[in-house]
Amino acid sequence: MRRIIAIVLAVFLIGGVAAAVVAGREDQDSSTATKTVQGVIGSEKAEFFADPDVVEALAAEGYTVETETSGSWAMEGLDLKGYDFAFPSSQAPAGELASKYHVRQPLPRPFYSPLVVVAHRSAAEVLAANGLATLEGKGGGKGNGTLGMKAYLKAAEADRTWQQLKGSEKHGELSGTLFISTTDPTSSNSGALYLAAASYVADGGRVADGAAAVDRTAPLMRKLISVQGSQQTSTDAAFRDFVSGVGNPLVLVYESQVAALLAGGRGVDDLVVLYPDTTANSDHTVVPLTAEGRALGELLGTDKELRRLAVRHGFRPQGAAAEFTAATDAHTTYLNQTLTGVRQVPVPASEVLHEMARRARD
Amino acid sequence: MRDPRTPAPRWSVAKRPHPSPPRWSAGTHPSPPPWSVGRRSAGRWGSPRASEAERGGGRARTTHPAAAAIALVLATAGCTSAVEGPSPSNNKPEPGTLRILASSELVDMTPVLDQVHKDTGIKVKPTYIGTLDAVDVLAKGGAKGAYDAVWLSSNDYLRLDPAAAKQVVSQTPVMSSPLAIGVKPATVRKLGWKPEDVTWADIGKAVRGGGLTYGMTDPSRSNSGFSTLVSVASGLSDAQSALTDADVKEATPRLTEFFKGQKLTSGSSGWLAQAYDRRGDVDALLNYESVLESRKDLTVIRPRDGVVTADYPLSSLTNTGREVREDVRRLAEALRTPAIQRLITERTLRRPVVPSVPPAAGLDTTRRRELPFPGSRSVADGLLDSYENKLRRPSRTVYVLDTSGSMGEDGRLGRLKKALTDLTGDFREREEVTLMPFGSAVKSVRTHVVRPEDPRSGLDGIRRDTRALTAEGDTAIYTSLQKAYEELGADGDTFTSVVLMTDGENTEGASPAEFDGFYGRLSAAERRIPVFPILFGDSDRGELEHIAELTGGRLFDARKGSLDGAFKEIRGYQ
Repeated sequence: MRRIIAIVLAVFLIGGVAAAVVAGREDQDSSTATKTVQGVIGSEKAEFFADPDVVEALAAEGYTVETETSGSWAMEGLDLKGYDFAFPSSQAPAGELASKYHVRQPLPRPFYSPLVVVAHRSAAEVLAANGLATLEGKGGGKGNGTLGMKAYLKAAEADRTWQQLKGSEKHGELSGTLFISTTDPTSSNSGALYLAAASYVADGGRVADGAAAVDRTAPLMRKLISVQGSQQTSTDAAFRDFVSGVGNPLVLVYESQVAALLAGGRGVDDLVVLYPDTTANSDHTVVPLTAEGRALGELLGTDKELRRLAVRHGFRPQGAAAEFTAATDAHTTYLNQTLTGVRQVPVPASEVLHEMARRARD
Repeated sequence: MRDPRTPAPRWSVAKRPHPSPPRWSAGTHPSPPPWSVGRRSAGRWGSPRASEAERGGGRARTTHPAAAAIALVLATAGCTSAVEGPSPSNNKPEPGTLRILASSELVDMTPVLDQVHKDTGIKVKPTYIGTLDAVDVLAKGGAKGAYDAVWLSSNDYLRLDPAAAKQVVSQTPVMSSPLAIGVKPATVRKLGWKPEDVTWADIGKAVRGGGLTYGMTDPSRSNSGFSTLVSVASGLSDAQSALTDADVKEATPRLTEFFKGQKLTSGSSGWLAQAYDRRGDVDALLNYESVLESRKDLTVIRPRDGVVTADYPLSSLTNTGREVREDVRRLAEALRTPAIQRLITERTLRRPVVPSVPPAAGLDTTRRRELPFPGSRSVADGLLDSYENKLRRPSRTVYVLDTSGSMGEDGRLGRLKKALTDLTGDFREREEVTLMPFGSAVKSVRTHVVRPEDPRSGLDGIRRDTRALTAEGDTAIYTSLQKAYEELGADGDTFTSVVLMTDGENTEGASPAEFDGFYGRLSAAERRIPVFPILFGDSDRGELEHIAELTGGRLFDARKGSLDGAFKEIRGYQ
């Protein structure tokens, strides 16, 4: 009970970016009658909904959207009465919410983003030289590549250090245990999805379905988390540290964060984006709680302008890949537009994933 | 949900019984975090009070009823200077102004913040506080309504405390500075070092061989000190990833040797630098690169095998309104513009965090591995506990205590007794404490040692002698100080100092000039013993300032704060 109260409070306090939304409404919408819909969204979509262009595009379709942010996992503990939709950042919590509120399937999934590992060139090249990654990127830039999850997990299991990898001696910063920095899997979606993908690979291509499966991979999952020491609690903070040049050479983030950075005309020195060959998608899934919520969810996936704007924020709209491809054509050095060679794994049920995360942090 | 009180975690590092979990786990967190044990080290994590009670007061915890009673007896003073520092009640919100709880070292950002104010209209009203104390304020909910944002050297500590971590919504790194070692160029040459190649192992070796001595700040009080401790422990252990209890244990012999090279300790980076200059015979300082670079006389080395970096995240708080958080976001954005980033790196010698701005001239741009910060409180606490009680040199202190007749007024003697009794919770194992009460002359000299095998008897002795103090006689400050120097003698194996508490002017015995002469005749080693005078009651500021200056100590003012606050603060210097 205490936890639920805390979460409810957190949502109210964390608030969102509704200010911008509300302000936008007053500007452009004196004549048409609009529907105001309220939703709880994952924080990584806050900038999207705050974007004045998004506000305008929604208003043009007769919507005013008011949002509050919440961690995707925390939404399960919320009383969503009075809201029109919830918009967590992955399918698992969305599925739980849908069954809790008896929401009709299928759920609108307007856009998604795969998890990627950002690295500096030196680290990426050492991984490539040791068979852990392959580097590509059009125009000879080699700014993206594929990370072999099986090889990576094997190295992690054996406590491989950077020093043991050939080529690392040229780079003083590459020492100590080889690991990918993630967010805390017990509180943050990306950290949990990392475990989903890693456990799938470690368990021979099986999605964890219960206690026995969690047991099988628990020692390795625990290792992947405990070597990291103190972890960030949000992917946003982890990515900012990386961009700032502070921290571990390998950091797990959403592709959308990288794409949004590039779209904003900013870059990172010697950035390499590694797509794990087996990864989990952050499937931004709308859980409609009212008819208006469902209509909005559908609109986000079908409206041309809104899809274009989602791309600007780094997301991949569901369905045809053309929009993302066209919009990111300038950045093919870093982005694997077609996700060639990247396999998406299903995410375990919420409960199982929670337990996996808890055991890993133990 | 599990009952937070039931589990007896197998990962417990506690050597002492824990009748119940630390109180922050009962109600602030959905389930007991794995590291909810072992907060037993030097007043750093959470309430200094609680840990003092644990350490001194019969090793009990405040959550246990009996322990709470002990703690109450020990700690009737209420809050300490550490926690009360910024007073939320006078920190009323002002429109257009962001009230920010900030690490003390950010005071050098004033010109940068002035520029931001000019550029954006956002005004910042900082309240400076130690990073660790700030975490304490947050954990206790003290930031609510009093601050609009928090800006610390690092949020690493904060993340280990769930109650504090919950208060933070978003964090944006503003600049960075790695922990480094600044070495005299002559020493670098003597050691034959190429600065870019030096590793922690090399540093350890040089210290072991007697070729390198250094000063650092106290990890229990200062952020740079704790970063130093984590760096050194990671660097000298075989840990390839985040430190564990086993790593610390394994590295203990090497760490003990390493800390034999520590010649200076300090509660603040500022005094550390002064003490370093005064002594002249210490080879190096461990601190943030920005602090070391600003001295210009040291070769600054970032060890090749890794550093701990402060990234100064500007953090917004859960208990604030949307508009406030929007202002905090705008401030963060303004601080990260290229022009401001250039100003920051040029003014403060910290590193910029946007790729388009190069670090100030002289800051080496080769990359360093980031040493992982401990991921659990038990490791962090265990490391601190080891440092304070086992690894560092023990301290020897003479407390020269005015118990002249005037101390009988206004309950002064009572306050002194309470402050001293309180302080017994803070003494470290192996520490030697001498009480030297004086009036017209020194009344008694009683020395107690906190022996690791039986810490209680030493602490009981201090409490017993404290209770027996009476106010009587005139005030012979200088004669008593001379006696304290005679008592301590020269001693290279401990951190030796004198604390002088007086509520009046010198009325008896040696004169100030005579003391100056006495001090001048001491051996060089004895002259390194600083006196830390405490202003109290009607004491003469000029007189005490002179003593501090002469002996290389520092004056503490108990008239503004409290007497126990002053005693506590001095702990960082002992």
